[in-house]
Amino acid sequence: MNLPPGLQFFERGWLSANNILFVDDEASILVDTGYSSHASQTLSLVQHALGARGLDRIINTHLHSDHCGGNAALQAHYGSHTSIPRAEAAAVHDWNEDLLSYRATGQQCPRFAFDATLQSGDALRLGACDWQVLAAPGHDPHSLMLYCPREGLLISADALWENGFGVVFPELEGVAAFDAVRSTLDLIAGLDVRAVIPGHGPIFTDVQGALKRAFARLDYLAADPMRNAQNGVKVLVKFRLLERRAVALTELAQWMRDVPLLASCNRRYLQMDDSALAHWVAQQLVRAGAARLEADCLMDC
Amino acid sequence: MEQPASPCINVCRMNPATGLCDGCLRTLDEIASWGSASTAQKENILQALPGRRQQPISQDWPT
Repeated sequence: MNLPPGLQFFERGWLSANNILFVDDEASILVDTGYSSHASQTLSLVQHALGARGLDRIINTHLHSDHCGGNAALQAHYGSHTSIPRAEAAAVHDWNEDLLSYRATGQQCPRFAFDATLQSGDALRLGACDWQVLAAPGHDPHSLMLYCPREGLLISADALWENGFGVVFPELEGVAAFDAVRSTLDLIAGLDVRAVIPGHGPIFTDVQGALKRAFARLDYLAADPMRNAQNGVKVLVKFRLLERRAVALTELAQWMRDVPLLASCNRRYLQMDDSALAHWVAQQLVRAGAARLEADCLMDC
Repeated sequence: MEQPASPCINVCRMNPATGLCDGCLRTLDEIASWGSASTAQKENILQALPGRRQQPISQDWPT
């Protein structure tokens, strides 16, 4: 995959979302900053690429902890001007834990400040190319994507991956969002996208294939919201496992009871007692090859 | 064509003594370039990783 000059793509893992670094004569700009516990490596990657030059700007596609967890560390080091989705401005300004997702999901994100906001229709100059800001509601109601018509490149965040898309979080709380996912996929289908830089996983060029899989996945989830709920619980526990590497089942049961989104999702959809829920999710992750069980301790693998 | 999968295991912490990530054993340069590397380059990186597990912490420790 030949990327345009001025664009560097750091493929990270699942705990940290991918980072895209743009450099031209005017500015150096990083799109998304990974998870907080990886911030030191994120800073090292940026320093490695920029050398003596500073990081002028940070842009976040959305404010989940795996996309903006490095903001605080990068701001502390570089003083980077930071742009976030406009709809999140008040929540970040006040650091309103009831509106931001970190407490609800049991995830970490150090407080950061912002200087500007972005919304659908805005135009950006990144790496000497013109990019458009597009709304991408569904996975997150305020998520944005970035599209470069000249290069046919789409930075899709978690709205479209090579195989599917991110958890449809609003639905976990009973807020309708499957139609929003569909609209966002329809929007992508209507663009001339020749390569997608997703929030997780490698760059892919079979955009039609990815859209076909995403629409099929959406149909499967929307047919029974329990499926999205079960997937959401598994993903949040796997995220915890990536962060902690190993968790005892008794501790997992307590954590799942204490994490507000998991507790409400259990009340609304799964309706299991704490211990049964922890055992269920452990079995699901083991069956999927995403974890292993050793003496009542769930280990990442 | 199927690309080799990233060896990242979400540890993502550079070890100053080895210059390698504690999780995937790649250098910073290898991590930075992975996303745009060719299949052959990725395979070369993957082949180099197992041998690094046993390497002494420092190659130039004063004697």
